[in-house]
This record gives sequence, structure tokens and C-alpha cells, in this order.
Amino acid sequence: MSETYDFLFKFLVIGNAGTGKSCLLHQFIEKKFKDDSNHTIGVEFGSKIINVVNKFVKLQIWDTAGQERFRSVTRSYYRGAAGALLVYDITSRETYNALTNWLTDARMLASQNIVIILCGNKKDLDADREVTFLEASRFAQENELMFLETSALTGENVEEAFVQCARKILNKIESGELDPERMGSGIQYGDAALRQLRSPRRAQAESVQECGC
Amino acid sequence: MIINLHSLHYSSHMVTVKLRCQKGIPPSLRGRAWLYLSGGKVKREQNLGRFQELDSECGDPKWVDVIEKDLHRQFPFHEMFAARGGHGQQDLFRVLKAYTLYRPEEGYCQAQAPIAAVLLMHMPAEDAFWSLVQICEKYLPGYYSAGLEAIQLDGEILFSLLKRVSPVAHRHLKKHKIDPVLYMTEWFMCAFSRTLPWASVLRVWDMFFCEGVRVIFRVGLVLLKCMLGSQEKLKACHGQYETMERLRAIEPLYMQEGFLIKEILELPVSERDIEKEHLTQLRRWKETHGELHCKSPPRMHGARAIMAAEPPSRQDLQQKPTIIVEPAQIINRSEDERKKEEKKKSKANKKQSKKDSSLNTANQDQAPQHQALPSQSQALLKDTNLQASNQSLSSTEHDTYL
Repeated sequence: MSETYDFLFKFLVIGNAGTGKSCLLHQFIEKKFKDDSNHTIGVEFGSKIINVVNKFVKLQIWDTAGQERFRSVTRSYYRGAAGALLVYDITSRETYNALTNWLTDARMLASQNIVIILCGNKKDLDADREVTFLEASRFAQENELMFLETSALTGENVEEAFVQCARKILNKIESGELDPERMGSGIQYGDAALRQLRSPRRAQAESVQECGC
Repeated sequence: MIINLHSLHYSSHMVTVKLRCQKGIPPSLRGRAWLYLSGGKVKREQNLGRFQELDSECGDPKWVDVIEKDLHRQFPFHEMFAARGGHGQQDLFRVLKAYTLYRPEEGYCQAQAPIAAVLLMHMPAEDAFWSLVQICEKYLPGYYSAGLEAIQLDGEILFSLLKRVSPVAHRHLKKHKIDPVLYMTEWFMCAFSRTLPWASVLRVWDMFFCEGVRVIFRVGLVLLKCMLGSQEKLKACHGQYETMERLRAIEPLYMQEGFLIKEILELPVSERDIEKEHLTQLRRWKETHGELHCKSPPRMHGARAIMAAEPPSRQDLQQKPTIIVEPAQIINRSEDERKKEEKKKSKANKKQSKKDSSLNTANQDQAPQHQALPSQSQALLKDTNLQASNQSLSSTEHDTYL
């Protein structure tokens, strides 16, 4: 168990089929574009530890199948998610129009407090753009979402999307708006945080040890 | 082991076919065997011209768009599907689009694409289409329908069967509230084609076409048992996510053809067990969710059940040859002429192989060569009459026997 982190957040990646959800996840974790990806049937997942405002946060990311038909099945992944990337494809108006549905699903099934970042993916295909930056950012504002345009191909803004979402969750924890102890919050304390919270003395001792190595 | 597929409905022959399928269908016969076993062949004969009709229509744009997005996402490492817009991808489009026209109320489900792709690796588009129809309607009814109720139900059945097969794994999954659909959706919907190594996929499909969905259940149970079946194995997965990770990365040893098939065969899960559990889970489903939204046709457990439900005529089962030897050329030869030729040939070809020159039979020059080897061809044609059948030797050989 060499993994030490302060918090663990459960994340979702949702949005219509073919918007590049799995490629975003792959780019985030492997720092590579996945050229030959299969479409997702059911669920894919991955995890990564990132450093956000001096805290180590482990993200457990569930990447879901996008086709409408799979919603009844993918809903079981929503439970207890703390954050989500809501993805559309800037070259497809249809995927943008579906956002409201996805949003309702996420808020209803995951939790009211879920922190969502809207990702306009395939930024690299600007020539085929069907959804402007402006209208999407307006939509984001109206629905209290963060917003970025991303490219799973070049990697632009991919890490940022995950980090921004995680940062917002951390802020909410610090401000007391989110309570990690609440069931189904999608947040868990990592070993490091647990030690500090539950037994400060031992945590000190251990942190000394850790510094030693 | 040789068996005549025409007599599949005789139970003694069925046992032989079943054994053959368990041992693995020879690669050269696989496609045709799947077509016959699934009843796709009968469906095709009873609906002559239907595929061509569907093929010529343009599909509903709603489905066409989604299908097109998926074409380059099926087995991209396979020779056939590697090239964008190549033959494999074109055929895949034709088959999937035809299905949305054939069953407009069902449309297209993304999990149908890998199924169709595996079929296309073994047979031409029309045959793949009818085999897909059989899978969607007989073997796995409701799997690809809106709502995916059938897959959720089967998830519950799988979980319940697991209790008997591996109580440890069952307890662990229950404790961590891991819904069966979390791990079995892709397994079942794609009939393991995206999970197992290729050799195992083919062996599992051989058995699946013969015995039906119980094979899929058994594979699932074996994998769960192998990965989560003892306290030792569960040490590293203390949560939902870790367990899912473990099930995603199944150890190659457990998926290896020899091991897996042996385990599947030894697992005592029968058609009756599944049907019994189905009733229980269906009752439970209705209590919690109400009536099913999607009324699927009843599931058929394998080739025999399908044959019994839709008895084929002998004509339906007859092979339509791709290579035809004109019977006239053979019959009209005078006996003398034939003998002369035979002598010539046997001198010239004294050492020529016993192998049948399989694909050249359409060539007129080749026809006498078959006659030159009467004993061999007679052995091949024991119960088929060449004169009457207008089939080529090679295709008869391949088709009548499995």
C-alpha cells in the first residue's frame, strides 16, 4: 500500500456516444491519445492521484457508455459521485442539445451537490465547429457548471478539467458546504487524512517516519 | 468426428454435434456451422431476397449516424476492420443498418456491433445478418432492446447462480454492493468477444451457438469464481472500485482456452437452473419495477430448441453452392471417354495429392480430375447424389459434414 492521499473523489464522465469520453479519460491517465479505442459498453474506469492545493487527491473515474439505451445500466454507476465531466462534441450540435438530459440525470441520481464541469471536446476540430464557445459558456453559467473546451487528441485542457473539478470540491469541503462524512458524498478520506483527523499524535509520528524515507 | 448437420434434430446426432462444438469447430467450417446451428440458414432460405431488399433501402438517419460512428471502433487490430471504409467496415454497416430496418422498433444497440463483426469474420454479410437476427431474437432476446431489462435480469440470475458456485465471491460482491450490471454488461452483451483472448472467444462461441446462453452464464461464473473465489484473492480488493479493477484485469491463465473450456464443462449449471432462476428473478423484478416494458420473445436454449421451434424443410437446409459444376458435363460423358480420361489422368497425376483441389472446381478443366478419383469422391458423397444436386464437390464436402 504505497498509495497515500488525503482524499478520494469518485468522478463520472458522462455525455452522448462518440463525444470522446473514453479518450479524455485515457489522455488524463496515460497522457496519450487513444487512437484505436472501442466504444464503451457498460463502463470503463481509471484512477489517478493528483496534487491540488497541496492536497493529494485520488480520483476514481467511471467512464460510462454514451448511448441512450445504456442509461438504465449506467445509472448504477452514478450513485455517490462527487464530481463529473459532462462532455459534448463541439462539432456536433446534437451532443450539445442532449446536455440538459444528462444534467438532470446526474443531479438526480448522483447527488444534488455534485460538482460538474462542462467539457466541449474535440477542440482541435475547430473547422467543423457547430457549437460556439460563447453559447456553451452561457449554458454553463445558467446551470452553475464550470466550463472548458478540451482536446483529448492534443491533451489541451484535459488535466485542467479534472483538476478544476477536484479543486472546487476541495473548496466546498473546506467551506463546510460538503461533508465528506455524509453517506454517498462520493468523498472518502485517504489514509493520510484519516490519521490526522482521528489520531493526531500517531499521524505526527508517522509523518516523521515518512519524511525519513 | 463427422456429423451430418441435416439431422441435427435427431437427439443422438445432437449429442455428437454438441461434443464436436465442445471440442472446437474446425476453423474452415466454423462460419457455416454457426449459420446452421443458429438457424440463420433456415431464416435466410425462408426469406430469400429480404436482405438484399433491406440492403438497398437507406436507413433511418437516427441510426445510421450512430452506426457510422462505431464502424471504426470494432476490432481495429483485425485485418478486416483495420482500414477506414474498407470491406469489413462496409459490410458491418450493411448488416447493422439492415437490422434497424428489419426491426425498426428495436433500432441499433452499440453492443450489436462487436457481435456482427465477429460474425463477419466468418461469413458473408447476408449470412452474418441472419445469424445476428437469430442471436438477437432467439439466443439473447431483449439484450439489445431499449431499457436493457433483459440484461439486468440476467445480471440478477448470474448473481444468484454465483451463490451456489462460489459463496465467497457472492458474499464479497454483496457486501460491497456491486450491482451485477457493473461487471457483466459487456461480458454478456458482447458474448465475451471483447473480454477473452481470441482462441477462447471462438471456442465459447462454438458452444454458445450449440447450447445457448447457459454457456455465457458459465463463462461468467467461472471468471467470477477464479478472480474472487477465495479469501486469499479478496485481500487486495477491499472496496467496490478495487473489485471492479480486479474483474477488469482477469488473469490470462483463467481465460486461456484449455483451462476455461474445461472449467465451463465441469460447471454444473443447466438450462433448467437458468430457467428456474429466471422465473424467480422475474417475479422479484415485477414486485420492485412493475411489468417489463419490453416484451421479448422467449429465450431458446441452443440449436436444438431453435430447430424444434421452427422446423426447417429439407430444402431450407440445402447448401446453396458458391461454386457450381455443371452436372450435364459429368453425366453426358460416355463411359469410354471417362475411362480413357481416367487412365490419362492417373498416369499424369500419379503422385498428385489426395487433397481435393477445393476452390477450382468451377473450372471446367478441373471437372474430370474429380472423376479421375472416383473412390475418393464417392467416399465424400456417400449420401448426396451428385447428378441431382448440382453442387460442387468441395462445397458438398464442406457443407454436409461437420
